Amino acid sequence: MRDLPCWIAVTIAGSEMGVWMSGSKLIHWSAVLGTAVMAIASWSASGSPVRAEDVIRFGAPLPLTGPLAPEGIKQQQGYDLWAEQANKAGGISVGGKKYKVEIVYADYQSSTPRAVQTTEQMITQDNINFLFGAFGSGAAKAASTVSEKYKVPTIAAAASSSQVYDQGYKYLFGTFTPNDTLTTPLTQIIKSKAPDVKKVAILARNDLFPLAIAQEMEKSAKANGLEVVYFEKYAIGTLDHSAALSQIKSLDPQWIFITGYINDLLLARKQMVDQELKAQVVTMIAGPAYQDFIESAGESAENVTSASWWHPAERYDGKDIFGSTENFVKLFHDKYKSDPDYGQASAAVCGALFQMAIERAGSLDRDKVRDELAKLDVVTFWGPVKFGPNGQINSLEPPVFQIQGSKPVVLFPLAIKQGELKLGVN
Amino acid sequence: MLAAQIIINALVLGCLYACIAIGFSLVWGVLNVINLIHGSIIVLGAYLAWGAYQSMAISPWYVLPVAVPVFFVFGYLLQRLLLNRVLHAPVLVTLTLTFGLDLILNNAMIYFFKADYRKLTLKPPMGSVSLFHVVVPVDRLIATVLALALTGLLYLLLRHSRIGRAIVAVRLDRDAAILMGVDVRSIYAIAFGIGAALAGCAGVLMALIFPISALTSSSYLDKAFVVCVLGGLGSVSGALAGGLLLALVEGIGSAAIGPAYATTLSFALLIVFLLFRPQGLLGRKGFE
Repeated sequence: MRDLPCWIAVTIAGSEMGVWMSGSKLIHWSAVLGTAVMAIASWSASGSPVRAEDVIRFGAPLPLTGPLAPEGIKQQQGYDLWAEQANKAGGISVGGKKYKVEIVYADYQSSTPRAVQTTEQMITQDNINFLFGAFGSGAAKAASTVSEKYKVPTIAAAASSSQVYDQGYKYLFGTFTPNDTLTTPLTQIIKSKAPDVKKVAILARNDLFPLAIAQEMEKSAKANGLEVVYFEKYAIGTLDHSAALSQIKSLDPQWIFITGYINDLLLARKQMVDQELKAQVVTMIAGPAYQDFIESAGESAENVTSASWWHPAERYDGKDIFGSTENFVKLFHDKYKSDPDYGQASAAVCGALFQMAIERAGSLDRDKVRDELAKLDVVTFWGPVKFGPNGQINSLEPPVFQIQGSKPVVLFPLAIKQGELKLGVN
Repeated sequence: MLAAQIIINALVLGCLYACIAIGFSLVWGVLNVINLIHGSIIVLGAYLAWGAYQSMAISPWYVLPVAVPVFFVFGYLLQRLLLNRVLHAPVLVTLTLTFGLDLILNNAMIYFFKADYRKLTLKPPMGSVSLFHVVVPVDRLIATVLALALTGLLYLLLRHSRIGRAIVAVRLDRDAAILMGVDVRSIYAIAFGIGAALAGCAGVLMALIFPISALTSSSYLDKAFVVCVLGGLGSVSGALAGGLLLALVEGIGSAAIGPAYATTLSFALLIVFLLFRPQGLLGRKGFE
C-alpha cells in the first residue's frame, strides 16, 4: 500500500471530495494543504541548485525509503565521504582547473520501476555529468538501459550478478566481482577444513542477487563433490521460515546456506535457534557483513560464515584519494563513528574511480571518461581495480569471513587472514 | 514427525496472525474503516517493547499492561479528533486519511529509530520445549497464549460489558443504536481505541519474534487484511479461524510446493474466498 504514489492518493481524494462536496472544512483544507505539501515536496525534490560551471554533478539514484533503505543509506554515506574528501582537496582537477563535486540524490523508494524513471530524470532534467548505479543487481540492470541510451558513464556500487553485465553495454561498470568469486573460495575452505561436510541445504530469497548467489553456491557445491539435499526459494517479505527450516532439519545437512538481506537473515537465524536446527557450518549472505546483523543476532551470530567484496581488515596501499585502506577506515570512522562495511566502501571507491578517470581524461567529455574507466588498472583502498570487457571488475579477491567473538574474522585471502574456521553453529 | 512439526508451527503462527488481525477486524467491522495505520501501530508497539528491554531490561510481558492504556488513548484521540470527522464520507476518503496518517507515523518511526532492523533478544534466551521430537519455541508459545488471552478478553468484553454490547449494537444497526440512546461517536472512538490497543499489544508480542523496523508495517497490514477476508469480518472467532487457515495454508503449501509459492497460495486462496465465499469462513457477524 505504501507504494501508492502520494499524488495519486491526493488526486483521488480531491476528486472524491468534489462528489462529496458539502463536507466539512477540515476536508477542504486538508485537500488544499495536501496538494500544497505535494507541490512543495516535488519542487524540493527537483529543485536542485543552479548549475555552476565549476561543479561536476554526479547522479545517485538510491532507495532511501522503503525496504532497501538501510542499504541505500549506507551507499549514500560512502558517496558523501568521497565528495567531502574530494572537495576538501580542492575538487577534481580537469585540465588544470579544479571542479567541486556535487552529488545529486533522488529517492526511488525501493521501487525498481521508479529507479529507472529517476535515472532518466537525472540525465534529462537534473543535468548530471556522470551516474552512480541504482542499488542491487535488479535495479542497477533496469536503470542501466537508460544510462546506456544516453551514453552516460555509470559505475554500479552494488551489483554483482553477471546478468547485469552481459547486456553488451559500453557505459556500465561495476565494483563487485561475479558471485562465484564469493562461493568458490568459501566452498574450498569448508572442503579442506571440514571434511565431514557432505550435505548442503540452500535456502534463497527469490530476488535477483540472493538467488543468483545461491545458484552459484549450488554449482560450487556440486563441483566440489558435495550433495545439495535441499534447494528452495522463499518469497520476498516472508514472515515465517519455520516450514522450510523443519524440512531442512529433517534432511540433516552439515552445511546450511541461506541468502537474503538483514531482515530475512535475522528472522531465519532466530527461527533456526527456535527449531534447534544446528549444523557444522552455517553461511549467510549478505547480512553478517553488517555490524547491525552482528549486534541484533547476538550470540546466535557466533560462527556464522559469510563472504563479501571487501573487509576493513584489508591492507591496500591505493593510488586513489583515500590512499590506504587504513586511512579510508579512519576517515569513515571519524565521520560516522562506526566501521565501514563493503556497501559503504564500494560507494566511496566508485567516486574515487570516477575522480581518477576524469583527471586522466582531462575532460568532462563522457566518452573520454568512459574510455579512461575502461583502461583503469590501479590499486585502490578497495583493492586492485581493473574492469573486464563487460565492465565488471575482475581483479578483486573477495574475503571470506566468520563471526567469532562478535567480530568478523577474515579466513581468506591468505594475505589478510586473521583466524581459522571454527566448526559448529548452535 | 515432519508433518506434526509443520502443523504445530502453523498453529502457533496462526494464533500470532489472529493477534495481528483482531484489532483490524474490529475497526473494519464496527466502523467500516479499512485502517491502513494498523501495521504501523503494531511496529510502534514492537519499538515500545524493544525500548523498554534495551533501556530498562523490562521483559515484553510487563510492557503489555502499559501498552494497553497508551495505545487505547492514542487510538481514541485519533478517532475522536480526526477520523470521526470523515466517517460518513465515501470509503476512499477514510482510506486516504488513514493512508496519510500511516505515512506520517511510519516516516516518524524511520526518523527516530532509523530504518535499520533491530531484534529484541532476551538474555538468557527462553529456548524451546521438545515433545516427541516436535520442537516449539517458548517465546512463540507464550506469545500464542497471550494472543489467545487477548482475543478471549475482547470476546468477553464485547459479549458481557455494557460498552461491548453498545459496540455490537452500533455494528448491527447504527440508527437503531442512536434511537436507543447510544452515543455513537464515543462508541466509534472506543472501538478504534480498543483496535489500537490490540495492535499495540500485538506489536509488543511480535517484538520477540520478528525483526523490528518501520519497514515491516506493510507485511503486518497485508496479513491482517488476508486474515479478515478468510475468517469473516466482524467476529473474534473469525479472526482466529482466518489466522489459523492462513498459517496452515502457508505452512503446508511451503512444505509441499516450496516456500517461494506459500504467499502466492495464500493470496490465491484469498481470491477464491472473495469469489465464492465473500463472507469468509465464519460469516459476517456483529461481534456478538
